[in-house]
Amino acid sequence: MDERQDEIWAKPVARMTVSELPVGATNLNVEGRQPVSPLQGFGALWQKTYRLRLRGEDVTPAQVMAVWKEKFPQFQPKGNRFYPPVGGVRSGEIIFIESTVSAWPGRLPGIPISSGVRVIYNDDECFTIMTPQGFPESGWNSFSTFEEDGETWVQVQSMARAADPIYEFGFRFMGGARFQEETWQHVVKAVAAHFGVHDEPVQVIRSCIDPGFQWREIRNVWQNAMIRSMFYMPVRLVRKVLRR
Amino acid sequence: MSRPQRQFEAAVRGGDGLAIIDLHGEMDGFAEEALNAAYAEATSSEPPAVLLNFSDVDYINSTGIALIVGLLAQARKSHRRLLTCGLSEHYQEIFRITRLADFMSIFPDESAALSELQAS
Repeated sequence: MDERQDEIWAKPVARMTVSELPVGATNLNVEGRQPVSPLQGFGALWQKTYRLRLRGEDVTPAQVMAVWKEKFPQFQPKGNRFYPPVGGVRSGEIIFIESTVSAWPGRLPGIPISSGVRVIYNDDECFTIMTPQGFPESGWNSFSTFEEDGETWVQVQSMARAADPIYEFGFRFMGGARFQEETWQHVVKAVAAHFGVHDEPVQVIRSCIDPGFQWREIRNVWQNAMIRSMFYMPVRLVRKVLRR
Repeated sequence: MSRPQRQFEAAVRGGDGLAIIDLHGEMDGFAEEALNAAYAEATSSEPPAVLLNFSDVDYINSTGIALIVGLLAQARKSHRRLLTCGLSEHYQEIFRITRLADFMSIFPDESAALSELQAS
């Protein structure tokens, strides 16, 4: 067995536990939630790959990944706030997320959603996060860099399905899938821009691995982080007022 | 995702009601084509179960795990069992981390998998 794997894979946990909360993050929809695989959600299972070549840049995949991990929150689009662990991206740690989910992007105001994801894999050229119960998607996102034909590429690859029927409806009919694709395209472009690459197109590869619904997972709706975050909104408001 | 140290290979063997895919080398994104081709070959005779033999796999990264999820999704869609054998303790743990162990039967070796299949 390869010894590399001892350090780069997280230890298995039945439920996520929060030991240290980064400043500004909210421990909501994280503590006590089970990490879920792409096989446990409700909707169609998609693998989507977003990749961009750092044309003409003399940087190694490991150098790019080091910067990507260090500045991970800065590469997110406006409205997505990521709070990496205090010690940086490491296997087993939780990245907290404050985002906004709009029922109708561009037409209706967004609903704040708080959650977090667990880093399950981390090496010099890749890290992978796994979502918890209640997160819009059940599955993984891998952020990687690699060399092909002498040039370095940056890539985001998701393998996930909508966690419950509400999210599935949102992804299919309310612009959720487009919003998600724009998010990850923004991220790879932002990483490229950091290295001075501005005009390179993002290659998007979509593959529907299982188009069916998993009706046995319909009860996931009880864990829906968007709904629970909405109920938490009055608490946010009170806290905001008290801070003034 | 550097080029793997030992190139991934997959070979298919037939059996009674079971197709076996022997996996070799390092399993990462570069393994996709060979793995999917082997799975297509293994399922061409519509066996009710496919056994993935990992005993000669040196290394699996998260992209390699995603490839297995893809196979598992295909297998579930066609009501086919996907079994594994030859996983080291470490990789069994990885299958638990990624929750693949919830959906795949894990056997220590090929004979244990065959025994279980014959018994069921």
